[in-house]
Amino acid sequence: MRAPTKPLGLPLILPLGDSGLMVRFGATLSDDANRAAIASARRLRDGPPAGVTEIVPNLVSVLLKYDPKRVSFEALAGEVRLRLGEVGGEQTETATHRVAVTFDGEDVSAVAAALKLSPEAFVAAHCASPLRVLATGFAPGFVYCGFHPEALASPRRTEVRAMVPAGTVLFAARQTAIASTPIPTGWHVIGHTDFSNFEPAEEPPTRLGAGDRIVFEAVS
Amino acid sequence: MTAIRITRAGPLCTVQDVGRPGMLQHGVSASGPMDAAAFARAGAWMGEAGSTGVEFTASGISLAVEGGTIGLGVDGGDFALSVNGADRSWPARVMLRERDTVEIRPGAWGNYGFLRFNRELDLPMVMGSRATNSVARLGGLEGRALRAGDVLSFTGDAIRSGMGGHPRAVPQPAGPIRVIWGLHADQFTPRARERFVAEGFAVSSRLDRMGARLADPAGVFAGLPMLSLVSDAIVPGDIQILGDGTPIVLLRDHQPTGGYPRVATVISADLDRFAQMRPGAEVRFEPVTLARAHAILSGSTP
Repeated sequence: MRAPTKPLGLPLILPLGDSGLMVRFGATLSDDANRAAIASARRLRDGPPAGVTEIVPNLVSVLLKYDPKRVSFEALAGEVRLRLGEVGGEQTETATHRVAVTFDGEDVSAVAAALKLSPEAFVAAHCASPLRVLATGFAPGFVYCGFHPEALASPRRTEVRAMVPAGTVLFAARQTAIASTPIPTGWHVIGHTDFSNFEPAEEPPTRLGAGDRIVFEAVS
Repeated sequence: MTAIRITRAGPLCTVQDVGRPGMLQHGVSASGPMDAAAFARAGAWMGEAGSTGVEFTASGISLAVEGGTIGLGVDGGDFALSVNGADRSWPARVMLRERDTVEIRPGAWGNYGFLRFNRELDLPMVMGSRATNSVARLGGLEGRALRAGDVLSFTGDAIRSGMGGHPRAVPQPAGPIRVIWGLHADQFTPRARERFVAEGFAVSSRLDRMGARLADPAGVFAGLPMLSLVSDAIVPGDIQILGDGTPIVLLRDHQPTGGYPRVATVISADLDRFAQMRPGAEVRFEPVTLARAHAILSGSTP
């Protein structure tokens, strides 16, 4: 078990348009802010406040969509403060998923070389520890997973690739991401997976949720 | 089998219903009509309409009726309607028979119009809706825009309902687009925020269901330093400033999250009106308080 860290203090509650309330735990991405966002979204979903139509965790925040005809922003903000109290960096993993990846992406050699590793050592280091799903939502079925250790920190590419196919496994900023639909990306392409996280005919249409544990396994 | 055959479609005509809310965690925004009020009016002219209709774009759409009779309600921006070659008033409710032809041509203003029917379209529900999401490519007809040759058939019987009210045209909306300050407003300089309100922008020709890019002739956002932001939730109406300084108003098929700074968000009550503004139209933004936005939405203040 990961020990709970110090509380982050009170989150910032701010309007996002006239039908959205955002609870933000930090202006930059950190493990604690991310865990607090996921834990808060779970707590709010357990008993959604009146007038709330959708609760979505993001990397460092939770978005509550609400019907302003049913609840005022001030009343909802008060209700959210009451329910959250001080949310610390809580243990958030629930389900565990094993994701088989073929590390044949065109950027593997360059990424490994920049980290002063052989491609084999990079793959081994990449898969050495389970990651968490930090957030979903950028594109259908897309997930950000993190965090890799500092030794695997790698900046984004300077060039954006116009489109990578569904199943592409991406790497940057101590994270691994899985594209479940074709997307443009400035991240490094390190491999591909047959794991599909977007099936619109299924209920629910995605399998990976924020906070889930991800174990990447290298396959050839 | 009763159906309509699309004989001419402008770009990006799509099947829409009220949309697909609640799917942001799966990476899918809600879609739905670009002018929700006009979509509702087109249905109201029928008394009661099927949940699903067709959204057409500025150059209009033409269709032919196959199989049986169809009640059709049309509304939107300003368009010119003809049935079997004879001009009709706009907006309208028309009863169509087999082999009737309907032609809708551009009028004086607006980007979007809607067809609603007294029947339900025979299309599958995808994630709880038949709305086309042009980004995720799902819903509607094979997740894509309609084109000439497509046949949309109807399921079951006509909906029995009384007639709706007499179709009446809405005046072309005017006035500034009201906004509330956005998620990252405090990261813009006071000068940039002042100029955002004082200067005029223009709708560019780069607009679609995802968003509308604006021309910024005064250079309000030109050369501002690139902010490094953590990706966060987007809502329709968010005004995002791209890395090259281009403002873009995100609309119904917006990406669910984004990392560009957002200066303001168009209020819900003005989203339909903004979506109907044609390329070249001048846009001025007027900040209002959240309380005012809610009062406008509830109809207690104009």
